[in-house]
Amino acid sequence: MHEKLKTSFDHIHAEPDLKAGTREFLLHKMSEYPKKSAAYRSLLAAAICLVFMLAGFGGYRMYFTPVSAVSIDINPSIEFKINRFDKVLSVEGYNDDGIDLASGLNVRFMGYMDAINQVLNDRTVMEYLAQDEVLSIMVSSADGKKQNEMLANVECYAAEYHNVYCGMGRYEDMTAAHMHGLSFGKYRAFLELQALEPNITPEDVQGWTMREIRDRIDALSGTVPDNGQGGAGHHGQGGEYGHRNGWSTQSE
Amino acid sequence: MRSEQEANRAIELYSDTVRRLCIVHLKNHADAEDIFQIVFLKYIQSSVVFEGDEHEKAWFIRVTINACKDLLKSFWRSRTVAIEDLMDQPASIDAESREVLEAVLSLPTKYRQVVYLHYYEGYTAPQIGKILGRNVNTVYTLLTRSKKLLKDRLGGDSDA
Repeated sequence: MHEKLKTSFDHIHAEPDLKAGTREFLLHKMSEYPKKSAAYRSLLAAAICLVFMLAGFGGYRMYFTPVSAVSIDINPSIEFKINRFDKVLSVEGYNDDGIDLASGLNVRFMGYMDAINQVLNDRTVMEYLAQDEVLSIMVSSADGKKQNEMLANVECYAAEYHNVYCGMGRYEDMTAAHMHGLSFGKYRAFLELQALEPNITPEDVQGWTMREIRDRIDALSGTVPDNGQGGAGHHGQGGEYGHRNGWSTQSE
Repeated sequence: MRSEQEANRAIELYSDTVRRLCIVHLKNHADAEDIFQIVFLKYIQSSVVFEGDEHEKAWFIRVTINACKDLLKSFWRSRTVAIEDLMDQPASIDAESREVLEAVLSLPTKYRQVVYLHYYEGYTAPQIGKILGRNVNTVYTLLTRSKKLLKDRLGGDSDA
């Protein structure tokens, strides 16, 4: 049977027109990219210059002041600080794995979506996901409209992945999270767990993976535990989780 | 963004693999075109550095499977059976191979995936578990069941 299967699949090849069509599509995209990118960069540079000219030091401060943040947690726990132009100003790790991951990233002044993409393509993170771990992407901004826009962007991106949560947290919680040595994404999960298990402390969950926290929440709240192979999707409490992709597999 | 040469190399190397995965997962040729565009666009936009050919191939398989799953979530997608996609393939497929492929494609998707990855690509159960994000014991179970189902449908020995 083994040989029969191998021989049978050997007959299947990508049709020449399919390959040609894909090549043409990619060429079109590649030709589009530099123009768009150059135009975008020029526009951004001009806008920044204008801001600097008009506001002098105020403009500089405006560019370098974080107004939003993205917390990415699986076991590595990292946080991006983002300015009002959606550019990453800094990246910080909140546990040993997070510090390792952060040190390998080159995302400063990169758009936050590109930075998230770099993280999800990191080998360590991909290995965690392959082991059925849960990855959480939490966005937070002092500006509610911006926060909703960021959530929509990350939800759209995360749709290609499985076991990826997206959600948003309160910007005000960030200080408390950092005081406890946690990213605000993990702190948000901790608060959810603490509501069910009042004796738990931030120190207890510091070394936990997001999967372990979520499993504990599921166990305490009576939600059917999900191991990525079935079960109902869970969307967190208080409506703050916006999307939980791949938490349950599609029916086949 | 990767170069045109890199894109051409990837298409030459992996388009057959992507096509086979499309046949295993999808309903028709139009869906396969979408998957090709999604997968290879993701490749040229990705900055991931591959440690070798195996790592790169596993990346293509994982991204293709995820793209297929996403496409299948779209309820407006056509609901023709996967076997029809075989009609797009050259008539050079002999009767026996066609029978084998039809038997594989008549299995539920979760069985088809493991059958393809194990019997054709040669991945072990733990490797398949990593690629599909499934528990390794589940993969063993799926392989055992799929082998039995194929044996029932095709008859003959089961030497895998």
